[in-house]
Amino acid sequence: MKCDWVRQNIVFYVYNELEDDARYEVEQHLARCPECATELKATRKFHATLSEMPVAEPTPNLLAASRMRLQEALETTRPGAFWQRLILEPALWLRQIRMAPALAAVIFIVGFGGGIGATYNFLASGRSDSGTLTSSIGSNGANPASVQPLESSAITGIRSVTQEPGSNQVNIKYDTVSTQEAQGSLNDQRIQQLLLFAARNNYNSGVRMDSVDLLTQAPDDSRVREALMYALQNDSNPGVRLKALDGLSGFVRQDPQVRDGVLRALISDTNTGVRLQALRLVEPMKADSNVRSVLTRLGQTDQNPSIRSQARAMLAQMPEMD
Amino acid sequence: MPADSYAVAIPVGENYRPSSGQRRAVQGSGNQNPTSYGNQRGSLAAQGNRIDDTSLIREAQQGNRAAFEVLVRHYDQSVLRLALHLTGSESDAQDVYQEAFLKAYKNLGSFRFECSFYTWIYRIVTNLCLDHLRKRNVRKEEAPVAIDSSGEEYSRLEQFADIRSGANPERDLMRRELGKKIGSALTTLTPRERMVFELKHYHGLKLRTVGEMLNTTEETAKNTLFRATQKLRAALAEMR
Repeated sequence: MKCDWVRQNIVFYVYNELEDDARYEVEQHLARCPECATELKATRKFHATLSEMPVAEPTPNLLAASRMRLQEALETTRPGAFWQRLILEPALWLRQIRMAPALAAVIFIVGFGGGIGATYNFLASGRSDSGTLTSSIGSNGANPASVQPLESSAITGIRSVTQEPGSNQVNIKYDTVSTQEAQGSLNDQRIQQLLLFAARNNYNSGVRMDSVDLLTQAPDDSRVREALMYALQNDSNPGVRLKALDGLSGFVRQDPQVRDGVLRALISDTNTGVRLQALRLVEPMKADSNVRSVLTRLGQTDQNPSIRSQARAMLAQMPEMD
Repeated sequence: MPADSYAVAIPVGENYRPSSGQRRAVQGSGNQNPTSYGNQRGSLAAQGNRIDDTSLIREAQQGNRAAFEVLVRHYDQSVLRLALHLTGSESDAQDVYQEAFLKAYKNLGSFRFECSFYTWIYRIVTNLCLDHLRKRNVRKEEAPVAIDSSGEEYSRLEQFADIRSGANPERDLMRRELGKKIGSALTTLTPRERMVFELKHYHGLKLRTVGEMLNTTEETAKNTLFRATQKLRAALAEMR
């Protein structure tokens, strides 16, 4: 009987947890059924009673005392071992590209950049001036002839990333305590490093999108692939995620990790456009058993009707191979 | 592509002033009427800061303690509030707070951004609170009395009463009574029911989020909430 179902759901209605269609049904029923309407009134009263009672909130003293105590404890605690791995890794990267002195400073800076300048003492005395850094244009990633000393500055954000049309020159503006500019081709290690940083850390989704876009044109590199996977999984902006998918499309066949990442996006991304694109990307692999099992599940149980029907259509095109 | 200027640091927690010794008054004791959707500022601010947190977390993972402290500031009020509501004692709440953030600091390396930091830290706190609630249930025969930070004994049930002498003593008495009733009703819930109700009613979280935090499904969280509210209504009705 309808009343039973409504009674079961009245509390979720009051707590605003019902999906739109269920909420509509409940409201429709309540308009016609006096008993359930009474129940709603009682539930609302319960909710109000509990909400009106003031609850002991933490006093400013308690919060301050807790913070101080934590601070003292932190001074004697070491963080987890993960950070050690991260410090070592850039050192390996450094040796590979043999730009040791300059990049040692840059890695140090990349590690401490990201716009948290205000909390660091060593940046407190910084002054902001704008500068331009030009890296030499070389297609083999040759060492830039003149690199401004970066020891006394830190990257606080990426201002803009633009590509000159019709060429492979990339122009990146980024802020340190002095604003600098780097120019170079996509093959330039420095440019790549900045793009990788921008893709992960920039607050403006437009700049992140540009960086991801440019990274998709960069030469094949596992770090680039990692950055694209990271953006696909974690970026809050669906446009950036779509761009990352575009960039990964070439690798879906050959790299199982990429394929799994795309499948994950297909299953759980919150944006339907991203999911549909992921679906298109796995289509050429529909013979693969992992892909098939995901498609089968989606075809049966997914909430979104166009995903369900497309998944079913894809499966139908292939003869059963089990 | 227009880019915002980022010469200035990201907006850090509202109460954080890097070189000033004073802290702005924290929203707390003045809050007489918690809305049913809980501490909106806590949850919404946490979501708005999400992009900023990514950098902070990575800094902290690389060993930067200052970044970790800024990160803590984004969430610690909500965490303390949760701990205080569930433990009923200022010193227990402080202990939970301490344990939770230390645990977070030590395990930060294993945080892989598979969920939001907010969810992650709440998972830690809720686990600690559940342990606390379970231990307390085991010793139910003890009267629920606690010592607050000024050394005064107060009944845990009274945490729900607005204990200040107002102009209307009769109304105060009624509120006190009601507060006791609610406190007592809450003890009829199991630890998990108590937790789900607390997160939903006093923190305004969606049941889907609650499920994530408690490592269960939204459906289970829904059923738990239903049971909890049934029990509470029954307990409150009985006491009339």
